[in-house]
Formats: sequence, structure tokens, C-alpha cells
Amino acid sequence: MTATAAQRPHESRAITYAWAVLCAITIGSWWLSPGHTTHTASPSVAITTAVVLLGFIKGRLVIRYFMAVNTAPRWLKLSTDAWLFALWAAVLAIYVH
Amino acid sequence: MTNTEPTALTAEQTDHADRRQRGTHLPGDGHMWLMVLGDLIIFGGYFIVYMVQRAMAPAAYLQAQQHLSITIGVLNTVVLVTSSWFVAQAVRAAADADYERAVRLIYGGGACGVLFIGVKAYEWTMKITQGYTNSNEFFMFYYMLTGVHMFHVALGVLILGIVVRELRNPRRRRPSMVEQGATYWHMVDLLWLVIFGLLYVMR
Repeated sequence: MTATAAQRPHESRAITYAWAVLCAITIGSWWLSPGHTTHTASPSVAITTAVVLLGFIKGRLVIRYFMAVNTAPRWLKLSTDAWLFALWAAVLAIYVH
Repeated sequence: MTNTEPTALTAEQTDHADRRQRGTHLPGDGHMWLMVLGDLIIFGGYFIVYMVQRAMAPAAYLQAQQHLSITIGVLNTVVLVTSSWFVAQAVRAAADADYERAVRLIYGGGACGVLFIGVKAYEWTMKITQGYTNSNEFFMFYYMLTGVHMFHVALGVLILGIVVRELRNPRRRRPSMVEQGATYWHMVDLLWLVIFGLLYVMR
């Protein structure tokens, strides 16, 4: 068995776990959303902060596992993390300002 | 072993596996990453502009957000994340020289992409017939962000089609080419996750 074939089950499983977490967070977001017409939504710093944290986690799962950046050179890990962090930090900063 | 065993690995594939193990493998190539990082920065700019505008009238935006269907938003997000699962598995299959499986997985990813476009078109039609047009500032951003994103999805489907065409030709198929298309496809997914959070879920 080659090194590649030996790695594949582990890598395929990691992709599937990432997918399951992404789906779980997405479905869980349904309850956070203001889009339920039965009541008038009120602003919520707690929910928005949760959205920012979950958005960061989801983005990182896509980048690290789907885009395979977890086995990529350091410059790519750093630049994608910088983008993710800058984006969500700015979103939260503008929201709470 | 049976005849379903993938074909023998080429020198490129063995080298590819080695670099992955050492954590120095660039998926796709530098040009694709330059384009992806550039696109992420441009979309990042759109998201910041949206947040700044929203901060000036949070109550009006929140009220308009309530007219979006979260069920459709969640459904389409799951569809796109699932398409990414197919494409990510196709990259692994191609790295193992299992090209038949890679093609089948890319078809799965592309089908989810087409489904995403269909659901989005349905959602747009619903909103327009309900009278939510871009005369409302929130809906202007909604149509702009989801419209530009949908263009990227359509381009992504086209790129997946090119990947399939190359994979079908034994002389042209290479794992790096599958990675190239996959990198673009996952960027489309990544951007959607931000749009979903900002337009559908935050308050």
C-alpha cells in the first residue's frame, strides 16, 4: 500500500466530519435567525456575536479541510487566517460600535 | 485484488502525497490562489460596506431581514456545503488516481451547484413578486451580494465541467488540475457562508 492510499481514509473522514459540523451549525442557525414572521425580531448583541464566532469557525473548516490548507505552506495558512480574522473582527467591531 | 483498484500512481502523485505529508503542498497553483485571495478581499470590502450601511439604520435592516425565508437560506447553505463535500472528496480520489470516482463526485458537486442556483432563482422570484425590490436598501444589498455570488456559482459549475472534460482524457488528467477547480469551488462556498450569516442570521 502506498503512502497516498494509506492517508486517504483519514483525510476523507476529516472532510466528512467538517461537512457534518458545517451542516449542524447551519441548521442550528435557523433558531437564531430573525426570519420567523410570527414575532417581531429585536436586535441582539449575543446572537450577532454567536453569528460572528460560528461564521469564523465555519470559514476555517472550509479553508482548512475542504481547501486542504491544513497541509499547505505556512504563508497560505497565515494569509487565509488573516482574512478570516480581519473580516469577522471588522463585522463585530462595526456592529457594536 | 480486484480490477476496481485504482491505477498505479505517477511520479507527480507520489510527490504530491509526500508534500502533503510534510505540510508544504500548495493545492492548485499560485495563480489560482492569487485570484482567490483577491476575490476574498474584494468581497470582504462589500461585506464591510454592508455592515457600515446597516449600522446607520439597524432597525430598518432588521425589519427587512425578517422578510427573508430562513428555511430557504438554511436549505441552500446545506446544498452548497454538500457540493463542497463532493468536490473535496473528488480531489482525494484524483490524488489516489481513482479518476472514475473523481468524475462521479464532481458530477455530484456540480448537480448541487445547479440546485443552489435553482433555489436562489426561486427565492428571488418569490421576493420580487412579494414586492421586495431594490428600492429597499437592505434588499438592494441582498440582490447585489447574492447576484454577484450567483455569478461565481455559475462560473464554478462551468469550471467543474472543464475539470470533468480533462479528467476524461487519460493524457491530460492530473490531481493538480482537480485541485485548481476545487479551490475556486470552495471559495464560492466560503463566501456564501459569510453572506448567509450577515443577511439571514445576524440581528
